[in-house]
Amino acid sequence: MTLKASAPILEVRNVSKTFGGLKAVTDFALELHKGDLQGLIGPNGAGKTTCFNLLTGVYRPDAGVGERIVLDGQSLVGLRPSRIAAQGLSRTFQNIRLFGELSVLDNVKLACHVRVTYSMLGGVLRTAGCLGQEAAITERAMELLRLFDLHDRAAEQGRHLPYGAQRRLEIARALATSPKVLLLDEPAAGMNPQEKVELAKLIRRVRDEFDVTILLIEHDMGLVMDICERITVLDYGRTIASGTPAHVQADPRVIQAYLGAVDDEPAPAAGGTHA
Amino acid sequence: MAWSLSSRASQLGPPAAWSLVRGVLPFLACVAVAILAQVILKPFLITTLGWDFAAKMIVDVGINIVLAVSLTLVNGFTGQFSIGHAAFMAVGGYTAAAIVYYGSYRIAGNPDLAGGVLSSMLVGREAPWFTPHDLLFLVAMLAGGVVAALCGYLVGLPSLRLKGDYLAIVTLGFGEIVRVLIQSQTGDVLYDPEEIAQTPAWKLAGSLGGSLGFSGLPFYTSFFWVYLLVLVTLLLAWRIKNSSYGRALISIREDEIASEAMGVDTTRFKIRAFVLSAFLAGCAGALFAHTVGVQLNAAELGFVKSFDIIIMVVLGGLGSISGAVIAAIILTILPEALRGVAEYRMVAYAVALIVMMLVRPKGLLGVHEVWERAAWDWLLGASKRKGAGR
Repeated sequence: MTLKASAPILEVRNVSKTFGGLKAVTDFALELHKGDLQGLIGPNGAGKTTCFNLLTGVYRPDAGVGERIVLDGQSLVGLRPSRIAAQGLSRTFQNIRLFGELSVLDNVKLACHVRVTYSMLGGVLRTAGCLGQEAAITERAMELLRLFDLHDRAAEQGRHLPYGAQRRLEIARALATSPKVLLLDEPAAGMNPQEKVELAKLIRRVRDEFDVTILLIEHDMGLVMDICERITVLDYGRTIASGTPAHVQADPRVIQAYLGAVDDEPAPAAGGTHA
Repeated sequence: MAWSLSSRASQLGPPAAWSLVRGVLPFLACVAVAILAQVILKPFLITTLGWDFAAKMIVDVGINIVLAVSLTLVNGFTGQFSIGHAAFMAVGGYTAAAIVYYGSYRIAGNPDLAGGVLSSMLVGREAPWFTPHDLLFLVAMLAGGVVAALCGYLVGLPSLRLKGDYLAIVTLGFGEIVRVLIQSQTGDVLYDPEEIAQTPAWKLAGSLGGSLGFSGLPFYTSFFWVYLLVLVTLLLAWRIKNSSYGRALISIREDEIASEAMGVDTTRFKIRAFVLSAFLAGCAGALFAHTVGVQLNAAELGFVKSFDIIIMVVLGGLGSISGAVIAAIILTILPEALRGVAEYRMVAYAVALIVMMLVRPKGLLGVHEVWERAAWDWLLGASKRKGAGR
């Protein structure tokens, strides 16, 4: 699947971000093809989430270095996040950002807003278009909740869900925007082993059923190595390795980034997060 | 799985004709109910029962409902803390007053009430069903709303960059600017027909009474106009809340970053909320200006009035339409019932607000309506379930 000759669905090149004197991300580059399931890993503070924020328009990449973010032929550089979401790039958040007071169902329904074509006046007058779209949105949202095993709690407030369910709801909500590319930021964080196994299955299923391309940030190496076909490794904002899980695992620079240099002091203090 | 909203919607949508009926009929029902209130309830209350004061209270309650519900759009749904709502009321009130007062002079040569049955709370007045002056009042009210909406747009702009307290300060400042400008920069009200006939319109727009207030306004405000606006406002707010646009507004309040990431253009929606809210407040201001016993004066439409409206929204629940209505009713009647201690109202409000912010920051009902179970979860021990999460 990764060897497809067709144009990439998401192409990122020369994307850098500097905060004051700190180079958070340097020359980030990425190529995702339709149906890819790629991992983005690296020690804490490597710039993974910053990359997501750059792709989704929360931050603007440093200008004038030939920065390029192209989604399915459309440049995303300089667009505001809502436009980027409308173009078909959706995400979840590392620190869950649900609409806590809204019901679980409404959380997902809200995400369908990007596809809504009836106007505010249409909503006030309840035109046929408005009613039809609202019915379609509800139907679609319930379908998604069923897929994520959340349909029993559709009426509950988002903030009342247990942690693992909140993570799943984030993914369901991101999918409701009908994305071409889905960015998952640590979807397994805080989940127990059983939940992680189910999540892995779910992510694969989402990729296959929704015809969506997935880029995944995750610290759980078991999960990443298990489901990702390709992995990009970041350290101090730079891409230090990219390739298949086996290739990446064997790369000395990756081992060094995670466990410290081989010629370091024997004390294991240099390591960041481990697998 | 390719999913297309529009193709699925056309399969699920009702026939266009039927939805037209269902969509528009409630608005016509609003008109009908407002007419009934005017032609049946008004004479019953005032003539049969002799409850003049109750009738006056019902008008005040109605105006406050519109103000509270309109502020709910901004403070409640969208979560932008605006504390200058009375200024929109003032802008709408003065705009409408100028149009009605000077318009009446231009048409009839005097500012006297010349509306039909549907206008005014006065009784024993021979009047046809409808006169051109009713139309003048309607146009004035809408114009007041539009001018207020323009101001709402201007105040909405800083809300794109400012959050929380900072936005509150801007709206407070706006409110004070409006009040001071009207009080200090407008000339005396003219009352000589010939002088008015010769004065150009732009000069009339500056003759609003200054610090003395705009006196001599005809009392057009009636059950009909007030409850027409109340019902239309409620229908508007209810339908917006239950559409994709309402969810978008509330999502901004819940988490602006997530809202934007899910495709909500937060800039546009905040502006929309401010504009619509200001429009309704402007209309309510027009009604207030023409109420029996009111002498329109910007001094009364300052921070204290804004605060009165905020407390209604906060007590009712930030985002609850029915909560705002109930709070508006209670907080309009209560100060009257407790006339003797009414001066301590602001003390009580401030204490209530502080307690509320500590105990239940989202208001009594939160974002929910009275009849929704979730509104009472906090009372019925939802904390147990909350503990199930992490």
